[in-house]
Amino acid sequence: MSADAVAPALPVAAARATGKRVYRHGVIARTAHWVWSLAILVLVMSGLQIFNAAPYLDASDKSNPARRVLAFDAQDRGGTPAGYTIVFGHAIPTTHLFGYTDDGMGAESARAFPGWLTLPGPQDLADGRRWHLFFAWALFLAWFAYLVSAAVRGTLRDLVMRPQDFRKLWPMQLYYLRVRKEPPPHGTYNPLQKLTYNVVLFGMFPLLIITGLTLSPAIDAALPWLTAVFGGRQFARTWHFVLMVLLVGYFGTHMILVLTTGFWNNMRSMITGWFVLGQHDGAGP
Amino acid sequence: MRRRLFLASSLSALGLAGCGPVKESLTNGPFRRALLSTEKLNGALIGTHGMAREYRERDIDRNFRVNGLDTPNEAAYASLARGGFHDYRLIVDGLVEHPQKLSLAELRAAGESSQITRHDCVEGWSAIGKWRGVPLATVVAMAKPKPNARYCVFRCFDTDQSGQHYYESLDLHQAAHPQTVLALDLNDKPLDLDHGAPVRLKIPTQLGYKSAKWVSRIELVADLHPIDGGAGGYWEDQGYEWYAGI
Repeated sequence: MSADAVAPALPVAAARATGKRVYRHGVIARTAHWVWSLAILVLVMSGLQIFNAAPYLDASDKSNPARRVLAFDAQDRGGTPAGYTIVFGHAIPTTHLFGYTDDGMGAESARAFPGWLTLPGPQDLADGRRWHLFFAWALFLAWFAYLVSAAVRGTLRDLVMRPQDFRKLWPMQLYYLRVRKEPPPHGTYNPLQKLTYNVVLFGMFPLLIITGLTLSPAIDAALPWLTAVFGGRQFARTWHFVLMVLLVGYFGTHMILVLTTGFWNNMRSMITGWFVLGQHDGAGP
Repeated sequence: MRRRLFLASSLSALGLAGCGPVKESLTNGPFRRALLSTEKLNGALIGTHGMAREYRERDIDRNFRVNGLDTPNEAAYASLARGGFHDYRLIVDGLVEHPQKLSLAELRAAGESSQITRHDCVEGWSAIGKWRGVPLATVVAMAKPKPNARYCVFRCFDTDQSGQHYYESLDLHQAAHPQTVLALDLNDKPLDLDHGAPVRLKIPTQLGYKSAKWVSRIELVADLHPIDGGAGGYWEDQGYEWYAGI
């Protein structure tokens, strides 16, 4: 088992010096990535549209101000309107950004997220919901196709966290902190990369989809235990939002690494599939 | 002119012209049809027989949130309200064998159904209330729908600022769900004016806008298209989904 995982490390190391081209991403994995990037953008922006209709999050089943986790508010401050983001009861002034902000029509008004952040327009809950549900299907189908294709191609084995990977997490972190000179031996992806991909693929994506589903009254009626797992409908709405924030954080980090670990090589590999092994291999996005 | 056309087309190609064509195709075009087909998939996968969760007395919101159009103020409704709705009659007509005109006493006598359920608004919030009334299926059965009847259309007293009356609709399958009721009481008291007195629909398996308040008439029809905007409800005519289980 452990020899199996370490074995690819030698040819990879040997290939690094030669700048060998490898076919790393199959057509389904590449398509899935482009679908995800569009879907995540639209889902976040249409999701903020939906959020704006009830700009607060509760850790409860029904709406309950006593269990409020996050809220947005606008107040009159001596004739000047001010916007606030209220986190666990602590009001943070966020005028012009959140709470009192751009209404998408050239002025400002009391609203949680600004008009330039909401799709498909400044205020359009009906169409925001349609866009959101459509791209939720796109995200789900790309996720499903990606996992099936990775399983069929055998690349899923390079991706799934194994017990020995957990033991290598700390040495890998030490390598990044420049305490260790060499990263621990690993396959295509280093243990920290693998952990991140596992959290996104097997944690964030499915949890975002499931918490989204539990906001639907018909799903709640069909599968009441599913909503209960998340602490009720409003709590599920809170988890859905928190997971969105985490996914946006991952997306941003992923993009920074795409830019800083050989941008053109990364882009080529995500367009044509071909990746040139080099100094950044094993420390990519 | 040419220049303007060029500008317009290049802007829309970028999706910047108010997201014009892109938005249109996503909202009404093939994407829309794809989304509607996924609704059918939802229906096939999860079904529509599930029962909304029932809560305990202590979970009830005593000040149940008021939302929707303004409480009706037209003369006919105001006069009924002044008389304690003694003269109110719920009309059930359209494609039925036995049209009905039911007083509140007759509705109460027709059957009783009580539920403590969560009301989920399309805006995102939830509130728990105790609803008592008569199952919609009972009232529909009294009128005996003709074989070609497919939908119940709920006509309401409330109007928007342009005078457009609120309305909603359910198909006969949704109408037959045991938790779909014509509610007369909220939290052990007759419905007050703001919560839809004297009769409102309560359907906890769909979003709140389906639970029409201030119902004056139930009309059974074969087709929703000839009615108002044709989408089957006040909010549906403004782009919200007719099937509000999702």
